Amino acid sequence: MKRTPVGGLLILGTMALAMIGPILTVILWAFAVKWRYPHILPTEWGMKFWFGMLGRETIITPVLTSLALTSIATSAAALICWPAAYAFARLKFPGRQLMLFSFIAAQAVPKFALFVSIAVIFLRLGLVGSFWGVALVQMLSAVLYMIWIPTAAFRGIPPALEEAAFDLGASRLRVFLQITLPQALPALAASYVLAFVSILFEVDGALLIGAPTVTTMPLLLMSLSAQVIVQEAAVLCVLIWVPCFILLLLTRRFMTAKGIAQGFGA
Amino acid sequence: MIRFATKSGGHTPGQQQRTGPGQEALAGLALVALPVALLLTLTLWPTVTMVVSTFLVDGQVNASRYVYFFSDAYSLANLRYTMEQGLVSALSALAISFGIALYLRFSAGRIATMIHALSLFPLFVPSIIISYALVRFLGPNGLFQLLLEQVGFTHYRTPYLTPVGPFLAFVWEALPLPVLVLSAGLTQVSDHAVEAARDLGAGPFRILWEVLLPQVRRSLLIAFALIFLGIIGAYTVPYMLGPAAPEMMGVFMQRTLGNLHDADAAQVQAVVLMVISSVVGGFYIATMLKSQGGER
Repeated sequence: MKRTPVGGLLILGTMALAMIGPILTVILWAFAVKWRYPHILPTEWGMKFWFGMLGRETIITPVLTSLALTSIATSAAALICWPAAYAFARLKFPGRQLMLFSFIAAQAVPKFALFVSIAVIFLRLGLVGSFWGVALVQMLSAVLYMIWIPTAAFRGIPPALEEAAFDLGASRLRVFLQITLPQALPALAASYVLAFVSILFEVDGALLIGAPTVTTMPLLLMSLSAQVIVQEAAVLCVLIWVPCFILLLLTRRFMTAKGIAQGFGA
Repeated sequence: MIRFATKSGGHTPGQQQRTGPGQEALAGLALVALPVALLLTLTLWPTVTMVVSTFLVDGQVNASRYVYFFSDAYSLANLRYTMEQGLVSALSALAISFGIALYLRFSAGRIATMIHALSLFPLFVPSIIISYALVRFLGPNGLFQLLLEQVGFTHYRTPYLTPVGPFLAFVWEALPLPVLVLSAGLTQVSDHAVEAARDLGAGPFRILWEVLLPQVRRSLLIAFALIFLGIIGAYTVPYMLGPAAPEMMGVFMQRTLGNLHDADAAQVQAVVLMVISSVVGGFYIATMLKSQGGER
């Protein structure tokens, strides 16, 4: 079943065009001052639109709102989920499997339909259009990453090390801080990054719960993408996505077949 | 301070139990209480409330809102379109990723590594970014059209605002999970098994069907369920790339709730989508439980 390199190169070429082409187009637009049909590259390059956008309040406010929302929702989720992950990995208690499982099963619920039901309840509670209402809903997007990756990480730490430290007389807190935590730290950081980025670009909850008073960066991107000037949406994409892409690359160790398959129960 | 045991279940014989099992259970329940409460408050409670309220019309229990939904041609067209879009996109994504996984299984070297890396790229690209990028790439006078015209093809018709637009975006987004899971599954088939089958006279299709596919059947089913559920519940992709009519359920619900302020109708649409999802989801959960059964 050995294939000739020609076949491989053909697949590679098609994949490169399909996977990189769209993003490349956006990057080109972000640095284009003029791009007239039918040139395949911008006819005038520059960062004119970058400087034009950065001073505008209609651009800055949604970006700042998004950063604040995302930091709060991600940190709050970490605060409640990481200890739970430790418990799921290391403690025996009734209903453990069922509860751990419910976090995965929640993936099967259609998000948008769920947010419709939450929006109707929040409407009655006066939480629609409020910053905190959006933060609460967006925490939900973080929960899967924040439970599953850390649980797997805590499980992967051999108990023998902790046992040895106990036997040498170390306290429970000291063992956790000096042995367990340092080993789990990369996974905890990865779960934070994954949750942070997924909330930063979250649309459904922000739209149904936040609009029209709370405008987040993705909602701004949607409205910019409908306007005549192409560059502004492209600049916003590059400005926000590139740093996230680099952060996500640091977590790629946790995006293995096993990690992802476990997360989704495959 | 609570001193609960670190041992994962106390199956290390001969060591002292540091705390009683009751204390450990209490500590465990206390630690998981908040995220479980969050999950219940934001999924179970709203869902149950919503289902109940869709059957309450002016203080009376009846199904008239559902009767309306299932007799309204436009609602039905949207539901049907959503299912078709989900089915076609998910199956195509699986077929393409199975092809990629097969290639990766039987090749090595730089080209294979690069193909693998490219197929994982969508993991790093949020929905809203790829939707916008595809509008710019595939849209009228987009880069793809410009490239085609460079090689002399001038009859390009953009898939933007047709069902092909969301189709391409859904397939693009769906690739990483099945490629990862399927190529991991296929490496479990040894070269010996493939060679043995070939020595016994099996052709490539028979090897595919009887040696390789059974190894990844469960992964295929789970991947299908997840991709399909993701698509039928999607909003961003169909909103950015899809046709104005019929619309996918996500866009339909948003317009009904956000623009028409008809919460009752939006809830009925949501319940219909949830019921359909729960059939596929129940199947996903059952398959997953089966494959995890061995672990416990």
